[in-house]
Parts: sequence; C-alpha cells; structure tokens
Amino acid sequence: MTVIHVGPRPDPFLATGLYFDGDTAVGQKTAVSMDEEAAALVMTDADATRRWPLSDIRVLPDLAGRDQLVLRLRDEAVARLVLTDTRILARLPNAYRRAPTAKRGRLLGWAVAAIASVALIITVLVPTMADQLADYIPPEGERALGETTLDQIRQALDDSGMGTPVPLCSDPEGVAALDKMQARLTEALPAQTPLTVHVLDHRMLNAFALPGGYVVFFSGLIKAADTPEEVAAVFAHEIGHVISRDPTRHALRSAGSIGVLGLLLGDFAGGAAVLFLTEQLIQASYSRDAEAAADAFGQSLLIRAEIDPSAMGVFFQRLKDRYGERDGILEHFASHPALSERILSADIALPDGFTPRAVLSDEEWAALQSMCD
Amino acid sequence: MTKLSAWDRASPGSVDHQPSEVGNHAPQSANSDWPPTGSYAGAEQPGKLQTEFVGTRWPLFWLALRTGVFTVLTLGIYRFWMKTRLRRWFWSATRPGGTPLEYVGDPFEKLLGFLIAVVILAFYIGVVNLLLMFASFSLFQQNFTAYLISFLGVIPLWFYATYRARRYVLARTRWRGVRFGLAPGAWGYTWRAMVHWAITLLSAGILWPHMTFWLEKYRTDRTWYGDARLEQGGRWTMLYVATKPLWIAAAFAACGVWADLAEHPGTAVVLFAMAGVIAVYGITHYRVTSRAILANHKRAGGVGLIATPSAPRIFGIAAFGYAATAVVLALPVSVLSLGVAIVQFAQTDVMGDLGNLGRSLSDLPQLLLIAIGIGLYFAIFLLWSSFTHVWVTMPVWRHYARHLQITNPENLTAISQRARDEFEEAEGFAEALDVGASI
Repeated sequence: MTVIHVGPRPDPFLATGLYFDGDTAVGQKTAVSMDEEAAALVMTDADATRRWPLSDIRVLPDLAGRDQLVLRLRDEAVARLVLTDTRILARLPNAYRRAPTAKRGRLLGWAVAAIASVALIITVLVPTMADQLADYIPPEGERALGETTLDQIRQALDDSGMGTPVPLCSDPEGVAALDKMQARLTEALPAQTPLTVHVLDHRMLNAFALPGGYVVFFSGLIKAADTPEEVAAVFAHEIGHVISRDPTRHALRSAGSIGVLGLLLGDFAGGAAVLFLTEQLIQASYSRDAEAAADAFGQSLLIRAEIDPSAMGVFFQRLKDRYGERDGILEHFASHPALSERILSADIALPDGFTPRAVLSDEEWAALQSMCD
Repeated sequence: MTKLSAWDRASPGSVDHQPSEVGNHAPQSANSDWPPTGSYAGAEQPGKLQTEFVGTRWPLFWLALRTGVFTVLTLGIYRFWMKTRLRRWFWSATRPGGTPLEYVGDPFEKLLGFLIAVVILAFYIGVVNLLLMFASFSLFQQNFTAYLISFLGVIPLWFYATYRARRYVLARTRWRGVRFGLAPGAWGYTWRAMVHWAITLLSAGILWPHMTFWLEKYRTDRTWYGDARLEQGGRWTMLYVATKPLWIAAAFAACGVWADLAEHPGTAVVLFAMAGVIAVYGITHYRVTSRAILANHKRAGGVGLIATPSAPRIFGIAAFGYAATAVVLALPVSVLSLGVAIVQFAQTDVMGDLGNLGRSLSDLPQLLLIAIGIGLYFAIFLLWSSFTHVWVTMPVWRHYARHLQITNPENLTAISQRARDEFEEAEGFAEALDVGASI
C-alpha cells in the first residue's frame, strides 16, 4: 500500500519515554519516535528496539494527572510506556478502545448460575421450609411471632417520622362492641380458637391477620363500612386465614426472603428492604387457593353465625364505586379473582329459612365506628 | 519553521521538536526531570524515592458523581464499575518515585464475586436465619436470640471478607509494571482475628496494640511485591506510643468517675465530655500513628519505607471534610424532608379542605410523589459520596501519599515480576457485607 501524504508532512515525533517491560521493577529510559511508513511507535534504548503498531496502542483509562500518559499494547498484559508528551494521543486511532479481557464466557456462566441459585432459594427453598416449619411452631411461639410482627407494622406505618408506633384504639365502648362481634363469630367456630382483635388508628382501608390469632382492622375500614355486617364479613374472612395459618407461613417466608432482597440491592438503599417488608406483611397477598379457602370459610362462618354473607360483596362493590381502583385500596381483597368473582356475583346459596340476625345495635355500631376518634 | 503543523495545532503551547539521534534525547517541554531519577536503569539512584500525589478535586468530583448517577440508574449494578474507575483514578494519582501505581481490577470480576457471595449469603440469610427465627420463637418466644446468633455467625465472614478484599486489591495493583500479591490465608486470618479480638476485649483494650501488630504482621508477611516478600519487623510494644491520647482520655474519664463519686456532677459531666472528645481524636491518632510505625518497619528485598503522616492533620482533614459536606447537603436534605411532609400531608383529609391547591396536591398521583422522594433520596446519597470523596478520602489519601518515602531504591533492580493471581471471586464478600472500605 502506498501512502500519499497531502499537504505538509507531520513533524517527526520524538520524545523520551519510560518503558516498563513488565518484568523488572526498574524502567528503561527510551527514545520514542514514529515510523510513519509502518504506522508504528518505535522505542529505542540501549537494550533493544521495540515497535508498537499505533492502532494497537491503548491509553489506560481514568488516569489522574494530565501530565503523564500510560500506554499499553492491546495484547500485552504488563508492559507499559509512560510518556509526558500528550501529542501522541492525536496519532493513536484506538487510544480509548477497551483492551480485550479473557474468560467473559465463564464469568457469564457463573453469573447466571448465581442468579438462578438465589431465585431458587427465594422462590422454592424458603417457602417450602416456611410452610413446613409453620406446622411445627408451638402456639406460644406463634403468638410471639404475631406480636413482634404487629409491633413492626405499627412502627413502619407511623407517619410522624418519629418512630412512634401507630396507636391501638382502646375506647371501652368500641372495644365492647368489637368483643360482641367477635363472640358472635367465635360461637360459630368449630373449636376454641384464641383470637386477639385490634383496631389501628390509621386511615388505610384494610384489615389483616397475623400469626397466633391476631386480627387487625384499620379504623379507615371500619369508618368506610355502612353496617356492622360488612365489618363482620371482613372479620370472618380474616378468621379464615387464621384458621388455615396462612399468616404464620407468610411471616416465616418473609423473615427468610426479605433479607436476601436487601442484600441484592446493596448498601445503597438500606431502607428499601424495611419498606418492602411492611408492604408484604400488610398487603399479605396469599395464594389464590388460600384466598378462596378463607373466603369459603368466611361465608360458611357468617351463615352459621346468622349474618348475611352478601354484606361483603355489597361493601366492596360500594368501595369500588366510590374510590375506583385508586391507591390500591381494594387490592388486598378485591384483586383476588377467586374472591371478587364469587362475592361480587352475589351468587351465594343460602340455606332454607335463613333469617339474618343483627350483629350490633345502633348504639354499639356508632361506638365501634367512633372508637378511634 | 513557519507553518503550524497538525501536531502543533492539536497541542497548543508545545515547543518544536527537532529530530535527533537515538540516545541524544530531545528535551522535554515541561519536565526537565523526566523520567524521574531512580525510575530507570543505568542512572545514579537517589537515596530515597518521594511519593507524589497529582490528583485534583474537580476531576474526581465529576468522576464520582457521574459513576454514581450510572449506579443509581442501573439499580446498583454499575457500582462495580464505579469502584473500579475510582480506584484507577486514585491509584494513577499516586506516584511513588514519580511513576504511578496502576489498578487493573475488572468490574466483571467484582460483579461475579458479588454474585457468588450473594448465593452463600442468600442461603445464610434465607435458610439459616429462617431456622434460627423458628427456633428462637419456638423456644424463647422472641427473636432477639435469633438476631444475636445470626450476627455472631457473620463476624467470621467479615474478617474472611476483609482479607480476601485485600488479596484482590493487591493482586490487581501494579507499580512499574510489577504486580503486588497477597498469599491465600483468609481462614487463618479469620481465626487469628477472632482470637485477637477476644484477647483485646478481655484485656479491656489494653492489648489492642498486640492485636494490631500481629494481624498486620500476618498480612504483611504474606504480601509480595513482584518476587520480593514483605516482612513486618519491630515488636508489638512499639505501638504503645500511638495510644498516648487514649490514655489521656482514660485519665479524664477516671477523674470524671472520681468527681461523680465525690458528688460533683457538673465537673463529672465536663470531664466525661472532654474524655469523649479526646478519645475520638485518640482513635484516629492510634490508627494513623500505628500505621506509620508499622510501615517504617516493613521491608521487601532490602527496600524500606519511611512514613510520616500527621494524625492531627488527618483528623482535621476528616473533621473539616465531613462538616463541609454536611453544610453543602443541608439544602437538599431540607428539600427532601419538606417533600416527605407534603406527601404525608397530601394523604390526610385536611388537604381537601385547603381549597384548590390542597385538592390538586392530594390528587397528585402518589406514585409520582414517591418517585420524586426516592429521586431526592438517591441524589443526597450521590452528593454525599461525591463530596466525601473530594473532601475526605482524597485529601487523606494525598496526605498519606506525600508523607511516604521509599528507602534503598537501588534494590528495586533485583525485583522481578510475579505470576498473575487469577482470583476471580474478587472481593465478593466484602462487597456484599460492606466491610467499610471506602475505596
């Protein structure tokens, strides 16, 4: 190939470089010049003459200090040439291209295996173990787990930012009304199940069950209900979760998997894991089967307790009409197709001669609704 | 020569270079002492090599900020690249004897090491913690036991991680083209560290220098530069000099106890406060001074070190740096707090009563408000890390660098290359456990 230079030829490049051969810890003072014909950098010192093709020369990235350039050859791992003459940059076509690094394939294989293992741990190993362990946890342990979880949720829901737990409403008349509702439902329960019911002073439209027989209402939900039967219907549904120990399995699963997620996100966002934990516990999205079971249990419990089971459908239809799907208020209950389809269809087979009995008197209902004011 | 060539136009201010004979090197435009004395063979060797630090604040700030933004945008994945690039910068800014260190770590290695560590820790957190939690609730009706055992279980991993992190960093550090290296020995380090910590705690801290010396000796004696092994000389008792301020703090605290017993509560409070302040300085003083003493007793193939960092200077740099960062960040932090308050306020019923503005605020999609909040939160993180790099890490590093000399450099001629330590797991555990290495 013949190179035809148009215009003035570039001045001959000549500089003094410091060459490290990648073997000894002392460099070679070397004269650096340019072989224009071969497009190569020529280093000449007492020992040898080295030629580096210009297109194969790379500048080390992220160098501090503009007075020195450290150059390497694309396929040379250790040899380095340090120059103070930055004009050389204009002659290096690939100065900032990456030098190839080996074994990317192996690294990729490991990475895929690692991600798969973590996914397996989170989605298979931890849930399976949690489900098994939930059957063996003694009642006192289960209650302690529920109590701890409730404390965590109350801490996390705090809006003041001061870390004070959201208060539980303890107005005596309201508590008495709630106790009456609870007694009415537990009477109809097959065996004596210890239940503890709390109302959280929080505007969220929600209710959830926790390990050890805890059922927790948000005052927002009680205020949004028109009749005590609607609250009782939600109550019955949550008792269904308690009976099937869904919350215990869920709490154990969360204990296992949340930390792993926090780990993956790195030290960058420590708070994210905590937020996620609360979200998980409150929005407790159980499996479709678990929801269907709690739903079926709730309905039969309501019927046995002589409460109109259509109250739930009415309640959620109204909430849906009023709020739409905004803010995911109804997510917990209404987003489970098994539940909403059956309840909202109002296709409930009532036994012959079923006559619902009022759950609370008007005064008791008023006390329950205002127990957090 | 009257015409400006392409060369000259590309580099204004440069001088003419006349072609000359090989061996008769052209004079350099800026540096008359280039290449630095002692860096090349054949010339007379100076008695000592001085370390230079050439980094400046702005380039570092932009590098830290830019890589930090990428880290946020990639949900943390880029942090391995961020760390690599920052290290390259810091290493290349440090020039013992005028020639820069080189960091050749690979972000992919770091990512892989992190993933491997995550698998092991995921198993630990997911399965072991689940069992501990179950046992703790079943047997003791609380979860404190589980947390305690789980925490105790992480301690050996932490030491293991610090040694492995050091091994990786040294294996990827070069000076004058020659690799450093640290021989494998993380488990040996782990059990030694735990025994030393136990001794230190049992002796109420009096044997702290004993631990500092022997752990450093363990690491140093396994460190190589090329084919030269480092050796930690000296005795552990030589580190007691560095504990002086801590003893003064202890004396103040003792006087405080005495004043408290003598029912002078006011005096006691003052004495305790002074003891506290002196102790904070004392810890920095101990770290800096003991590090210098240990460095002065390290040898490798006849080459030695002279380290003369000043503890008060480093304490001052850190105090000023953090204070300045806090002042600069005060504005974004207050904006964030205001934002959080608005988000929470917007959710209350009160907002609807506040007229149109209130209603429109409460109608703002909550997701948008949350997104703005998260954005600000990360922005503060980023600024914090960028400013502390510029105002704390870099000046401290520079101080250490400029107060480091290499003695008997003529012995470097006898040192040659060592083979590459593949060690692809990099500093995975250190990344996952955050062992506190800021760089």
